[in-house]
Amino acid sequence: MTPARPLALAALLIAATALPAAAHHGWGGYESGKEMTLTGTVQQIAFSNPHAMLNLQADGKLWHIVLAPPSRMSTRGLPADSIKPGQTVTVVGYPAKSDPAELRAERITAADKTIELR
Amino acid sequence: MDHDLAPAGPGWLVALETSGLGESLRQSVWLYPMVEIAHILGFALLVGAILAFDLRLMGVRAPLLPADALARLLLPVAVAGFALAVPTGLLLFTTEATALAGNPAFLAKLALIGLALLNILAFHGLAGRRMTDWSLSDRPPPGARFAGAASLALWVGALACGRLIAYL
Repeated sequence: MTPARPLALAALLIAATALPAAAHHGWGGYESGKEMTLTGTVQQIAFSNPHAMLNLQADGKLWHIVLAPPSRMSTRGLPADSIKPGQTVTVVGYPAKSDPAELRAERITAADKTIELR
Repeated sequence: MDHDLAPAGPGWLVALETSGLGESLRQSVWLYPMVEIAHILGFALLVGAILAFDLRLMGVRAPLLPADALARLLLPVAVAGFALAVPTGLLLFTTEATALAGNPAFLAKLALIGLALLNILAFHGLAGRRMTDWSLSDRPPPGARFAGAASLALWVGALACGRLIAYL
């Protein structure tokens, strides 16, 4: 076998295993054309890895808001405990394609501070 | 996605996730990305070294680079990478144990790693045991070429499934 043939076989095997991503988690899983602004009361917040999340009561509905990793939230000015249950916050973001009550936030305004999350 | 932020599932997974270790990793600002970096470095060494050796098993650069000499460099690098990837992977698992246990990409990744490890055992018990016999031959024996191709597919598949955990 010449060296070129096993290399071609290797390339084929790699191509065969590179599966298409069924996006749900990255920004691809959200309706980027349907930007929404929600203002409501924080019910619960998890300032945790891999990304912070909060439950927001807004527009008569409980929304699940996906935020940024704690490290990014902190360096951009909203560290742990700067968002608490009962607080009023505003988020701008996109609803999930798979869940009408989930929203990925592009930015959040809390405690008179607005930070970008992407 | 579950709207209740509390973990639910089998008791031992909930216990792992709500343990002090899981909790502090989740809440940490920089420790979690550090563990991720170590995990990536671990599997980069593991998969990179293994794929290079797989290509040699399939016949690439034979007989220019002796297989047994190459094994003495690449296999310890792969072992070191594995030794770094496994404990850091376990730490990352504790942060989301309940969700990961039901994640199809995570389960597929574990299955592929299991098959890849079996492939390693089979290779070193069969064609690999006689490596000095064919180390300088123009073409490795069929067993070695098969093990190399299988290894390449399994490790790339495991890596792909690992990344897809976040998307499934």
